[in-house]
Amino acid sequence: MKMNKNVRKQGKKQIKTNLMRCCRPDSGSVDLTTRIKDVVFRNPLTVASGTFGTKDEYAPFVDIERLGAVITKTITVKPRRGNPMPRICEAAAGMLNAIGLQNKGLQDFIEDKIPYFEKKDVPLIVNIAGESTDEFRMLVSTLTKYRHVVKAIELNLSCPNVEKGGVSAMRKRDVILDIVRTARSETDLLLIAKLSPELGDLIEIAGELVSIGIDALSLINTLKGMAVDVRKRCSKMAKITGGLSGPAIKPVALRYVYEVKKKYKIPVIASGGIMTAIDALEFLVVGADLVAVGTANFVQPTATLDILDGIKEFCVQNHIACLDDLRGSFKENRPAT
Amino acid sequence: MPSKVSDEVVTLIENRKINQKYFKLVFQSRGLSKNVKPGQFVQLQIQPAQDPFLRRPFSYFRVCSDRIEILYEILGRGTSLLARKKKGDRVRVMGPLGRPFTEKVGQKKRILVGGGIGVPPLMFLAERCSVDCLLIGVKSKEELLPKREMAQVKGKVLFSTDDGSYGEKGYVTELLKKVLKEESSRLVYIQTCGPNVMMREVMKIAKKKGIEGEASMDERMACGIGACLGCMVETRDGLVPSCKEGPVFSFENLV
Repeated sequence: MKMNKNVRKQGKKQIKTNLMRCCRPDSGSVDLTTRIKDVVFRNPLTVASGTFGTKDEYAPFVDIERLGAVITKTITVKPRRGNPMPRICEAAAGMLNAIGLQNKGLQDFIEDKIPYFEKKDVPLIVNIAGESTDEFRMLVSTLTKYRHVVKAIELNLSCPNVEKGGVSAMRKRDVILDIVRTARSETDLLLIAKLSPELGDLIEIAGELVSIGIDALSLINTLKGMAVDVRKRCSKMAKITGGLSGPAIKPVALRYVYEVKKKYKIPVIASGGIMTAIDALEFLVVGADLVAVGTANFVQPTATLDILDGIKEFCVQNHIACLDDLRGSFKENRPAT
Repeated sequence: MPSKVSDEVVTLIENRKINQKYFKLVFQSRGLSKNVKPGQFVQLQIQPAQDPFLRRPFSYFRVCSDRIEILYEILGRGTSLLARKKKGDRVRVMGPLGRPFTEKVGQKKRILVGGGIGVPPLMFLAERCSVDCLLIGVKSKEELLPKREMAQVKGKVLFSTDDGSYGEKGYVTELLKKVLKEESSRLVYIQTCGPNVMMREVMKIAKKKGIEGEASMDERMACGIGACLGCMVETRDGLVPSCKEGPVFSFENLV
């Protein structure tokens, strides 16, 4: 596809789009615009919940208005202290964490975080977790009132580090279905479920959630793991187990995004070890709608923008004018070499 | 953040063993040396190939113009890989990070208590500000820094070794008790960095005598900028990330 000269002239200037304009160059020379339900994202780059601070921690490194969306750290009804230290531990090509959903609660989010994001031109996706269906109901209905800022709600249905409302409790199918049905009845906002293979048969669960009206899926949350201190003969983490993230889990995440996209017509926010533009492109090729950079933010605070620039560069080099031309272009049969 | 954070690839000028235990790493950078205060640290990426995966935090040991020196000890895989780096090799470094030690303590006598690899940031402080006394505790004399590294300390230096091979025999906290006997508590300000057990003991001694001070807490870190909530420290304001709200905390703020 040939690029329009006028558009090319505008160079790197970002144009704010309110309407979907598929296959017309938008940001710079490549159109990266992504739409899920009625929300328009200027590009597919976002951050995985819990890896981007709670407010302005990344402000010295990243202009968040360049991102497609910001996904918040999990918000719970009441403030949570989280788990005891040590609650992080390095692993091969990744890390374990058992933070335990530490956050200041819904009230603080409304009073402190919403006013901050109100001034920012970036869609905000709020990740929430409840200890019961009623808590989910309350969080969803309250956040829906702030729809001028909150563009989507992501249900954390797969935290490996808490007892109540954590991944173990969600293994019961009726629990997870009840939460999603309830959330659906409380909001018309873009509703996302964040899942992990820890829940059971992920492909099957994805299908059931699609059938009860979920708008999108976030795949995947961390995988439960552990590390042992052989000298002390105990876990390297206070809570024994933690969630494994980083490049170590990328092949697993990629496989689930691929299988879910192949089987269902459901938008997917992909996360799991995305460190480079090529990693992100792999997820886009198998059909991911948004790509969420997670643990990479802890290693390289500019990771999101580095990856965004890399995706643009790849598209320009490969004459891809619109990201939708690349998205889902995966070939089942390897071309002959 | 008290100062602007830089993140850049630097070329090593020096990386060598300076005694039985410690290595000294030297590089130059305008951004990473600007407005640095003792107690602050850098996040160093040992290798870019995701292995080791996370960056490692290191305190600034000395900053002269744009020359930065760091002292480290081989503690695991990351630092052993770092020790293999040669002059001319490149590493990615982000800093300055964290809240530093207080430099102005008024009329009070400054006593610094350092243990093991907690000594370098205190040396930095003792070269910047006058100190009444710098107490250094190590296991044995082999771990002592070479004399030329100690030459610029603005004050008296006292040593203790666990095995009695140099200075007083025993823990540095015993040495602190001795030194404090001759001082009026209200006129003393203690700043400490070292193993958590040592610092807890220093704080206990200080609390008993009503002495104020600061401790640089050492928690396992990932991001270094207050985002991952991995390095939390219990304070009067609740659990806070030591990389951002610390690593230096006042005694009274630590629970």
